[in-house]
Amino acid sequence: MQLKEIPITGIPYDQLYIEKIPAAPEYCRRPAELLPAGNRSVVVNPNRTCMPLGAMWAVLGVHGAIPFVQGAQGCTTYVRYTFCRVFKEPATIATASFHEDAAVFGGRRNLIEGIRNLVVRYWPELIGVVTTCSSEIIGDDMVSFLKMARANLRKEIGPERADGIPIVLVNTPSFAGSHVDGYDRASRAFVETLATTRNKPNDKVNIIPGLLYPGDIREIKHLLRHMGIEGIVLFDISDPLDAPLQPPVSLPYKPPGGTPVEAIRDMANSLATFALQPHAGQAGARYLERKFGVRAVVGPPPIGIQGTDAFLKALRELTGKPIPENLRQERGRLVDSLADTFHHTMMKKVAIMGDPDVVLGVTRFVLEMGMEPVALAGGTASKTFDHDVEAILAEGGYAGDPPLVVNGGDLLEFEEHLKQLPRVDLVIGNSRAVDIAKELQVPLVRVGFPIYDRFGYQKRAVVGYRGGEVLLAEIVNSILGYQYPDDRTHQL
Amino acid sequence: MPMVKMKCDELIPERYKHIYYTEKERSVIPACNIATIPGDMTERGCAFAGARGVIGGPIADVIAMVHAPVGCAWYTWGTRRHLSDLYTWATPTRLTNVAFNRRYCLCTDMQEKDVVFGGIKKLEQSCLEAIRLFPEAKGLIIFTTCTTGLIGDDVQAVARSVEKKTGRLVFTAESPGCSGVSQSKGHHDFNIQFYRQVRSLKERRPELKMPETEKTPYDICLIGDYNMDWDLKAVRPLFEKMGLRIVAVFSGNERIENLVKMPDVKLNVVHCQRSAEYIAQMEKDGYNIPFIRVSLYGIEQTCKALRETAAFFGLEERAEAVIAEEMARVEKSLAFYREKLRGKRVAIYVGGPRVWHWIKLMEELSMQVVAVACTFAHEDDYEKINARAPEGMLVVDAPNEFEIEEMLTSTKPDLFLTGLKEKYLGRKMGIPTVNSHSYEKGPYEGFAGMVNFARDIYQGIYAPVWKFQWGLDSTPGMKERDGLCS
Repeated sequence: MQLKEIPITGIPYDQLYIEKIPAAPEYCRRPAELLPAGNRSVVVNPNRTCMPLGAMWAVLGVHGAIPFVQGAQGCTTYVRYTFCRVFKEPATIATASFHEDAAVFGGRRNLIEGIRNLVVRYWPELIGVVTTCSSEIIGDDMVSFLKMARANLRKEIGPERADGIPIVLVNTPSFAGSHVDGYDRASRAFVETLATTRNKPNDKVNIIPGLLYPGDIREIKHLLRHMGIEGIVLFDISDPLDAPLQPPVSLPYKPPGGTPVEAIRDMANSLATFALQPHAGQAGARYLERKFGVRAVVGPPPIGIQGTDAFLKALRELTGKPIPENLRQERGRLVDSLADTFHHTMMKKVAIMGDPDVVLGVTRFVLEMGMEPVALAGGTASKTFDHDVEAILAEGGYAGDPPLVVNGGDLLEFEEHLKQLPRVDLVIGNSRAVDIAKELQVPLVRVGFPIYDRFGYQKRAVVGYRGGEVLLAEIVNSILGYQYPDDRTHQL
Repeated sequence: MPMVKMKCDELIPERYKHIYYTEKERSVIPACNIATIPGDMTERGCAFAGARGVIGGPIADVIAMVHAPVGCAWYTWGTRRHLSDLYTWATPTRLTNVAFNRRYCLCTDMQEKDVVFGGIKKLEQSCLEAIRLFPEAKGLIIFTTCTTGLIGDDVQAVARSVEKKTGRLVFTAESPGCSGVSQSKGHHDFNIQFYRQVRSLKERRPELKMPETEKTPYDICLIGDYNMDWDLKAVRPLFEKMGLRIVAVFSGNERIENLVKMPDVKLNVVHCQRSAEYIAQMEKDGYNIPFIRVSLYGIEQTCKALRETAAFFGLEERAEAVIAEEMARVEKSLAFYREKLRGKRVAIYVGGPRVWHWIKLMEELSMQVVAVACTFAHEDDYEKINARAPEGMLVVDAPNEFEIEEMLTSTKPDLFLTGLKEKYLGRKMGIPTVNSHSYEKGPYEGFAGMVNFARDIYQGIYAPVWKFQWGLDSTPGMKERDGLCS
């Protein structure tokens, strides 16, 4: 900052020198017995957030739907903030704005007035009411409150219009589960509330994508289109959360696209439901299976060769339609890319963190590249995660040292484990792993939710064969860029 | 009355009293700092965000223990960019990638059984573990949230017990999200509780006071600066060159031991007068420390701030020397931007005080402020806005999303200074934005920061992208703002 003159470009970051001051004179080892998350009650750097976020994500994927959050303002503002950071899009979410009075007298007034205000100004196609820890602790009787809110609406705007707006209640107390479970619960709440009759088979397949980005959902639709199969993608955020800049916009701003309410009603008539991410969507798929006999196909996430193969084969088996030549060519191109790059991926030690399904899908894919997983951290505690990891390792013929598997837990355990290892080549995970990768001095390949420190990840796919190529390229180039002297890369 | 009835508020007329046009002759104070209307699509946050995110977060060397389910902690982890230079060790040879206050997120991760049976045991256990895991932390602040506030956990008892067992400074900040009407309540809560706890701490442990030998006649505290994007790099040297000693900054990049010495200074210089004037006021009442209100944004206001601070200590000449030196560094660049930005129209939507901090700054850049909005401003903020505002400027208190859209369509600004959530709304309407909370490429305070700010405004307005927004069939030079909404 000792510039004689500040140029018109201002103070560039490199001129703003910040001297790091160590908080302690030297490194001291953290107590070993406190490192496994199971040995302590404090959680350091959680690998998950709370349920309402998942439910709001789901509601935003429905056409013209607005989430209404029964809680304090922060529950909404923080989630909107997160969505805006990740998707670089507006996120329209209403809140009941709990103040002290709601905490004392309950949230009935807030809900009834809030629903009314939301409807008469925004005219949403659907309202997804999302609860929070405060409303659950107070013990708000949401079902009867919603009846009152509906009666109140009928008085003001007439029964026909009032009844034309479905309200879906998702119970998401934050003191249980995680955002993944919130999405899972939303998948069940939506089909339970809307898909109430099986009257005429529609020959479609339901897809519950889970917490996948717009780019991923577009890739799934691409696969369906080429299979000649009509799909109903539940919670289709691909348009609402990746909208074009094309003024004029109508006021109030309503994002384009999303799953039409009618399509959700039709889900009971479908051939099958694919829950691409078992932890986020299985509940909805299982419900439809139990209630209407719509077959549930749960997982695996269509990441990499085998994951995508399994998805396409299941589609083929279900509809009897062949897998077309152009998808086979896409697969061939991914295989070709694996053949072109295995010299740089084989035996590389990789650590993966994120939501459980992302971790499982990516683990299967890196095994296809010949990598060796050294640590796998799934943020949401899961009954099946450990078993799934074992199955994937066995199926991939993995014979190396067993990786550390963090099921739930937190990132402190994950990162301290990595710091003790003799070697790690690569970290794959979301933006919460940036510091870990930087401190290990290894590249980070960003996959999963949230990614807020780089641009464009929400717009591109990692699922499908084409997504696999993108992800493979990024993994390989990270390794090359980080570890190879330039003259080694002249003849890849 | 110059109140405004926005079209989007026809069905919630209780919003009418929040919106007005400024008048030169009189100062209109809208309804403000009152309950939010449920379901109106408010942009407000919660009290916990104010306490944990804004004021508690910037303190460099304490553990922020969020006593809550996981979400509250996760959302406040590395969110607001209050930067710090205090790093802990990642490995025996390397410091961590980001500073301690943004590198770790600690919480008690309340589960259902904790909610049912109370979370005190878990909290105490967590605090003791945290201090063992991070021995480099000089203290710990326990933040409560809706959950722990509603079940009534006695966190103060835990704090006393942990302090007894570990000897560390343990503070509590009880500010559940559902208290008050906005973030502002959390600022207030933190101020009051921190002041009281520091006061009783000094009584219990007099050795923490500043020793007489260390005191100088030129000791000041900078209150209400949170070191967003290293603002302190731009303003701290200004005071130091005048010969003043900044004992503590409340609370940007500050060490807790310095914050405990806050009551030992000669003068408090208050920058953010919404979130931190409370503590200055309490120190005035409790310790007779006078305070002055300053603004460190913009050239004119920074000069005024330096002169007023210097006048208190009789250092006027040194202030003039510092100002002359700084002006010489930035004049040429600012002249370029003044020319480029002449007559551009700006709308500002921030938390509150930055609205009136920036009106003058925009005028310095020869721009015109056409509309402002505040999330959580109180009456005194509106007085300050009215004192600085041009005639006929639209003012919206605690706007909701729809009102922001209407504000933009009716005033047609060339630039929208706003936070992260609303900037995307503006963007969809084809209006350039500059992130006014965490900045685009700061710092923005002080003299050098002014150049950064002007540059980011210029980059916003002059970005080529805005030429393409009218579609394939538009003609060059088309600036059809009337087509903003259909």
